[in-house]
Amino acid sequence: MDITRREFLGYTAGAMSVVGAPLPHWTAPSVAERRPKKWRVFCSDPDVLPESSAGYRAVLPERRSQFEHWEQSDPMTHCSLVIMSSVFLLPEKIARRLRICLQRGTTVIVESGAGFANHLGFRKHRRSLREGLGLRVAAPVNLWSPPRATPYVDYTWPTRTRVRDFTRLVPPANQPGEIIAWAGDLPVALRQRVGPGTLIYIGSPLGPALSIGDTEAIRWLYAVALSA
Amino acid sequence: MKKSIGDNMIPKDWGFDRGLELVKRAGFDGIELWLGDVPWFQMTTTDAQVRELRRKVESAGLVVSNVSTGLHWATPLSARDPNVRAQAARIVERQIETAGLLGTDAILVVAGLVTEEVPYNEVYQRCVDALKPLGDKAARAGVKIGCENCNSEQRFLLSPREFAQFLNDINSPAVGLHLDVGNIHDTGFAEQWIEIHGPRITRIHLKDVLKHRGRSGDQSVYTNLFLGDNNWPAIRAAMTKVGYDGWLIAEMEARYRYAPDQQFVDTAQAMDRLISGRL
Repeated sequence: MDITRREFLGYTAGAMSVVGAPLPHWTAPSVAERRPKKWRVFCSDPDVLPESSAGYRAVLPERRSQFEHWEQSDPMTHCSLVIMSSVFLLPEKIARRLRICLQRGTTVIVESGAGFANHLGFRKHRRSLREGLGLRVAAPVNLWSPPRATPYVDYTWPTRTRVRDFTRLVPPANQPGEIIAWAGDLPVALRQRVGPGTLIYIGSPLGPALSIGDTEAIRWLYAVALSA
Repeated sequence: MKKSIGDNMIPKDWGFDRGLELVKRAGFDGIELWLGDVPWFQMTTTDAQVRELRRKVESAGLVVSNVSTGLHWATPLSARDPNVRAQAARIVERQIETAGLLGTDAILVVAGLVTEEVPYNEVYQRCVDALKPLGDKAARAGVKIGCENCNSEQRFLLSPREFAQFLNDINSPAVGLHLDVGNIHDTGFAEQWIEIHGPRITRIHLKDVLKHRGRSGDQSVYTNLFLGDNNWPAIRAAMTKVGYDGWLIAEMEARYRYAPDQQFVDTAQAMDRLISGRL
């Protein structure tokens, strides 16, 4: 991993101080913390879910991270982590770059931004994920109809974490990979090995929880970054 | 100070013209128009039709005190769905536009709605994010957005200092507080809200509240002026202290069952007593 223990503590302290939250408990860092690589966050259409990319921007360190619209993206070389926030339609040009990243060992997080899409829009979303990255997703589920007893998503990897749900969930469909988050009985997030890389799909956007300083969401994100 | 009352108080079968006559005859100086709550003033009402509303108001010897709306209860600025948020922002924009057409400089917005589904922190941030650009638009139009304190119903911004912090975070001179002195219930005292917010108060809604006298004694209920638990001498003194000399707008949520026009007359007279300070 490309971040030192000191950097991690600095980043999380900065992020937590912004939101007034306590520091997360520190666990031993990954062995590989020598070669710095970038974390890059790409925002899809700003009208889709702007608070999601704002959430990543709020908690990730500026010195280590790049935040940009994907239309301006270069081939994404030298990234250990790529985050595609609130994805609605994934252009083939971007999907190709992501596939290359995965083949280079990058961890790619794809966060669905289609929970509130209409029927036609969602079909396009589903098709672009399937054709671009081989990801299969099921139709959106309104977690709040009927009312829920507990409004949380439970992540099981890379650390056990509980984060607030985001009303509309786009669950991963049956496919190879490991389900790494659940909302009750519903799968929420999936992890797949793609060559040497890791593809993580999140069906309930994490960015909004980051933007309001959810400590557990921040911890989960950093845990993924550290394992990348 | 001047007296106003909402057009949503006009009995349903009276119509706008007859309602205006009643408002004038009862002794009010102006009328509050509720976008989306009455048949004559909807989101689909054209600019020309809005101008015609203004002509009728002025022909009746009144002016429009402000533009309010209840549409944000169903379409809040704090919704998770970006489409709903866009629609909510469009409602505020239409309020700003119609305020200009109607010759008033204030609108009322119910800013956010905390629910089990949409938690407090999200609501706070989204409202701040939404109201910054809307504040810029309002400023350009010469209009002030008054965020109403619907304390219990919104489950949001429950204390006056928190509300002040909220306005600080928005940081726009065009965004202030539309204070409802009847909405505070058990979470504080209206006179203290007036003291803390002073020049940031855009308009004041008047109603009274009976605390803990609803069903089973565990609810507060709204009532007519001077029948409830508001400390009206303190409220009037606080207005003097901060130099509030703007509109007082009656919002009588409990309606007379019979002779509904009489409620207009009684309310206007009660407001005269409040303004005179003879309490």
